[in-house]
Amino acid sequence: MKARLPSSGQTPGDEPSRFPGFDVLAQSHAWDPVTAGIVLRRLAPMPALRFFDPALEAIARPMLDLLLDQREEPRVPVFEMIDQRLAELTTDGWHYEDLPEDPEAWAASLRALDEDAFTHHGRGFAECDDLERTALMQAVADLGSEKWHDMPASRVWSLWTRYACSAFYSHPWVWNEIGFPGPAYPRGYKHPGINALEPFEVPDRHPVDPTEGQL
Amino acid sequence: MSTGPRSWFRDGSADAVRERNESAWLIPKGQERANHQLRKDMRRFDDSDEIDAVIVGCGAGGATMLQRLARAGWRVAALDAGPFWDPERDWVSDEAGSHHIYWTEPRVISGSDPVPLGSNNSGRGVGGSMVHFAGYVPRFHPSDFRTYSQDGVGADWPIEYADLRPYYEDIEGELPVAGEDWPWGDPHRYPHSAHPVSGNGLVFKRGADALGIEARVGPVAIPNGRFGHRQHCIYRGFCLQGCKVNAKASPLITHVPDALAHGAEVRADSMVTRIEYDERTGRATGVRYMRHGVERFQRAAHVIVAGYSIETPRLLLHSTSKRFPDGMCNDHDLVGRYLMVQGAPQTGGRFADEVRMYKAPPPEVSSEQFYETDPTKPYQRGFSIQNVSPLPVTWSEHFAGQGIWGNRLREYMRDYVHWATLGALCEFLALPENRVTLAEETDRHGMPVANFSYSQCDNDRALMDAATGVMEDIMHAAGAEDVVTFNRFAHLVGGARMGEDETRGVVDSDCRSFAVENLLITDGSVLPTQGSANPALTIMAVTARAADRLVKDRSG
Repeated sequence: MKARLPSSGQTPGDEPSRFPGFDVLAQSHAWDPVTAGIVLRRLAPMPALRFFDPALEAIARPMLDLLLDQREEPRVPVFEMIDQRLAELTTDGWHYEDLPEDPEAWAASLRALDEDAFTHHGRGFAECDDLERTALMQAVADLGSEKWHDMPASRVWSLWTRYACSAFYSHPWVWNEIGFPGPAYPRGYKHPGINALEPFEVPDRHPVDPTEGQL
Repeated sequence: MSTGPRSWFRDGSADAVRERNESAWLIPKGQERANHQLRKDMRRFDDSDEIDAVIVGCGAGGATMLQRLARAGWRVAALDAGPFWDPERDWVSDEAGSHHIYWTEPRVISGSDPVPLGSNNSGRGVGGSMVHFAGYVPRFHPSDFRTYSQDGVGADWPIEYADLRPYYEDIEGELPVAGEDWPWGDPHRYPHSAHPVSGNGLVFKRGADALGIEARVGPVAIPNGRFGHRQHCIYRGFCLQGCKVNAKASPLITHVPDALAHGAEVRADSMVTRIEYDERTGRATGVRYMRHGVERFQRAAHVIVAGYSIETPRLLLHSTSKRFPDGMCNDHDLVGRYLMVQGAPQTGGRFADEVRMYKAPPPEVSSEQFYETDPTKPYQRGFSIQNVSPLPVTWSEHFAGQGIWGNRLREYMRDYVHWATLGALCEFLALPENRVTLAEETDRHGMPVANFSYSQCDNDRALMDAATGVMEDIMHAAGAEDVVTFNRFAHLVGGARMGEDETRGVVDSDCRSFAVENLLITDGSVLPTQGSANPALTIMAVTARAADRLVKDRSG
């Protein structure tokens, strides 16, 4: 990851923002210390890997990059954040009767993805190109409630996306990208309402309806 | 046994509340959010004391019971598996950082429609699930108490709406509740006027108005103004992460302080693993629990279980004895059964305007127009519609769960400020096969974990479809360019329901178990039906009534 000053309106991959000039971290002085501690820790170096072994890492990194479309540095360290959760068992506790607990389900599903890569392309997921990887992942998403390597595909998909989204969309760089100001205590909001902005919010300068022709 | 409606001013005014529950005045006045002196000075019982009552769980049911019994002079302690929260130190204004306020001990989910736990339906620590609930506190409708005789589905309660009404009024004063005059069910008013609404609420009102659907602001357990020493809501939108302001009600601030001031004990970090039973007297003798790695036993004259719909049945099923080989109070195979969730689809609408639904508390506007059985429809019972406002992590999970990923997911999320959201609560029916059993797996204490099996019936699915249709209509009528609906579940009730006799319920109308005279259950698990209302207020009202009956019964 490149070193960055914290108050730069940083976005993942330096992508141009629909909210130019919006910088969540520039408001961190208004946060309570407990919340600031939790949120700012996401900008700190990550601990050494503990859960994923190199073989799983080689599958998980490109898979997560594609899932969240992170193609350029600086990346939100989603892979490292998931490794930390699985190593520390920061799970939701429950598991489906027909799927093992989260750490085991992660390992099994990544191996299954690798098997699919060998079956279809004669090489591992890590050695495939992005088009091939995308097709392998879309195939899992498209299976719905059908079985995939003895696991219900929809539950595997849910496992991957829940962990990935929870890591990515908790990161202040991503809040810059979506115009969300993050922590709001003790300041709160004074201007709720339609098209009503706080002084520190920035309007969407380049609106694009994402649903056009898609849903 | 119903009493008529009481005087508005007696129940709703701050003075009247303070007389019967001083909690809001026991909270520190300044920036501190917990009264540490009160906790330090808290009475502490010995395990060997036979206290009047030990309560298992300190959430909506347990804390209400604790406060009522302490006020009546009982020597009472509530044991909670989680921490004794301090909102300032322990909670954060952040979504992913709030994982620790949920019950994340191991559990297994099964059935044809398994229900994920550990987030929106499972609380942890003193205050229980109300720490993270949105804040909606509607009453049940009178019809909810006799769905079987009226609609041929669900069950009839052994009490009527009128039996609960005075307790609804009491609790609405103690939380207190803000909202517009309520036209549905038993029409009533609220002690506090409604809060202002944000963009999300304005969208709902605009759409509902255009379609001629009645909608009202409220009812929310957030006082409109200061209440006692509780601060005014700051509209920061993080109700589901625990209210750091002490504006949104939870028993941690509405009932526990008054209980402590009246000599009750709250024993945190205490996981109850077994209710002990005396074969000779036929009475419960107390509870075995783990605290800081040490097993202990608290003696008590009454055992009151308030661990909610998963943990209460789990504890009863695990408490076996010669008399109860299949679990305490389980003579008729009813413990763990008739567990319910509500279908809770959420419909997002995309607007050219910026809605910024994260601003203001998620609970804003609701409609109960579709709550009752509509004889022209092919399904029984109904649904309610309420504003919800998912924060970015939850919102992204919604899209990703529908197979939107990669660049498309990023595009949808860059558009976050343009979306408004409605949520429905659909009354799923109580079915015997929807139940908690004990799994083979055990937790870190060696106690078998719960296996929660859930399968929907046709009526459930029809309600989800109907609610989705109405929400999408409202969004379109409000001017949405696109709408998308996500299916999900919310709330838990049932699992140890009340009934007329021991073949129809685990407890009677006063929440006393049929099988063990000094064992009560006072939490959401006793509810035989759920309506399409958020359950917290009803859990507290049922408990307040049970406490009243218990105290009167003992003082003879």
